[in-house]
Amino acid sequence: MRDALNRALDTALAEDPATLVFGEDVGRLGGVFRVTDGLQRRHGADRVFDTPIAESGIVGLAVGLAMNGWRPVPEIQFDGFAYPAVDQIVNQMARMHYRSRGAAPMPITLRVPSFGGIQAPEHHGESLEALFAHVPGLRVAAPADPLDAYHLLLQSIRCEDPVVFLEPKARYWDRAPLPEDGWAAAPAPPMGAGRVVRAGRHATLVAWGAMVRRCLRAAELAAEDGVDLEVVDLRWLKPLDADTVAASAARTRRAVVVHEAPLTAGLGGEVAALITERAFRDLAAPVQRVTGFDVPYPAGPLEPQYLPTVDRILFAVQRTLEY
Amino acid sequence: MSENAPARESTFHLPDLGEGLVEATVLEWLVAPGDRIARNDPLVEVETTKSAAEIPSPATGVVARLHAEAGAVVAVGAPLVTFEVDPEPGGGAPGIVGTVPAEEPTRRRVRLRPPRE
Repeated sequence: MRDALNRALDTALAEDPATLVFGEDVGRLGGVFRVTDGLQRRHGADRVFDTPIAESGIVGLAVGLAMNGWRPVPEIQFDGFAYPAVDQIVNQMARMHYRSRGAAPMPITLRVPSFGGIQAPEHHGESLEALFAHVPGLRVAAPADPLDAYHLLLQSIRCEDPVVFLEPKARYWDRAPLPEDGWAAAPAPPMGAGRVVRAGRHATLVAWGAMVRRCLRAAELAAEDGVDLEVVDLRWLKPLDADTVAASAARTRRAVVVHEAPLTAGLGGEVAALITERAFRDLAAPVQRVTGFDVPYPAGPLEPQYLPTVDRILFAVQRTLEY
Repeated sequence: MSENAPARESTFHLPDLGEGLVEATVLEWLVAPGDRIARNDPLVEVETTKSAAEIPSPATGVVARLHAEAGAVVAVGAPLVTFEVDPEPGGGAPGIVGTVPAEEPTRRRVRLRPPRE
């Protein structure tokens, strides 16, 4: 996936001279996850540059640049360090377009390596999607696999609204087969759309980021038992593709939402509510949630106990099947 | 992308151990060339103007060469030791924090019963 994101950034820098990539270690080093590898060499140190360790400054700089006609793609090195920038993200980036009655453009894509799964130390694995999805004016996106990461990041950069782009760091090393005839040639869902990544008829699993793959694995195991699961990858978490989610839940009559973030006030509640509002008459069971727990992401060795497991997903599926 | 199937050489340079230091003195090597070492094992003890510190190994593999003798002053950024690094599982070098997730075999205990249709 990091190669895919690297290609997308390379494409964006090449197609629009207003595009700028900056953040901690993104330039000379090429990023701690190698996502920005080679970009400074190819596009110059005035368009791909390192910043001090000052997240509020990184986003503040992006806001000022965007107001002056640039298309900034800043990086927060790790999700836990987005908190110092929340003031700039919420009070400036999300509102400037609205505040100026449309006069100040805000085409910022804020890349944030996100979620858990690599047993990182504290502050290096968080799920911020509900926090940012709650903020009016922000779009939030999270890719699940390499090819889609390429398309989703380009869609985000080309979008005129500010996007918080949450990259599932556990999938950075994902090496899916890539199209030889070029990335751009592969079909991508339209802007704002989710996608059905596996069709099924007994229940729908809804997920994003690294949990999509886990749901696909759960679906493979369910198939051994004769249970046919559909998997929906949200891709866009704000605004989310209610049509795709509700249509799938209406078709299968059962839904389970899976996310890494804590249960309470997580995005799973939003997904459950919209399914209930739109597909109530078609549902055979209440929407189930399989999530992290209401605790901070634990230290590395305990992470496997915190993240939703295939067994927890299957158990929730069984509960919906028994209604 | 640096890909590595066979073992490869990797040189570890003296890091800045204390926000703005320029050099450190090697007090004692805790390994010798030819030793096998695991990531985070004790590697070398150095002294800076601020403190004495034990540096853990950044890599798993075999110590190939030491670039400074005990007592020598080493500049921050100068080579300290070269390893024959074991290839990383999955082929990717890890980031600064965390570990590359292994594709774990799924162990399942929950069995499903299809709904009556």
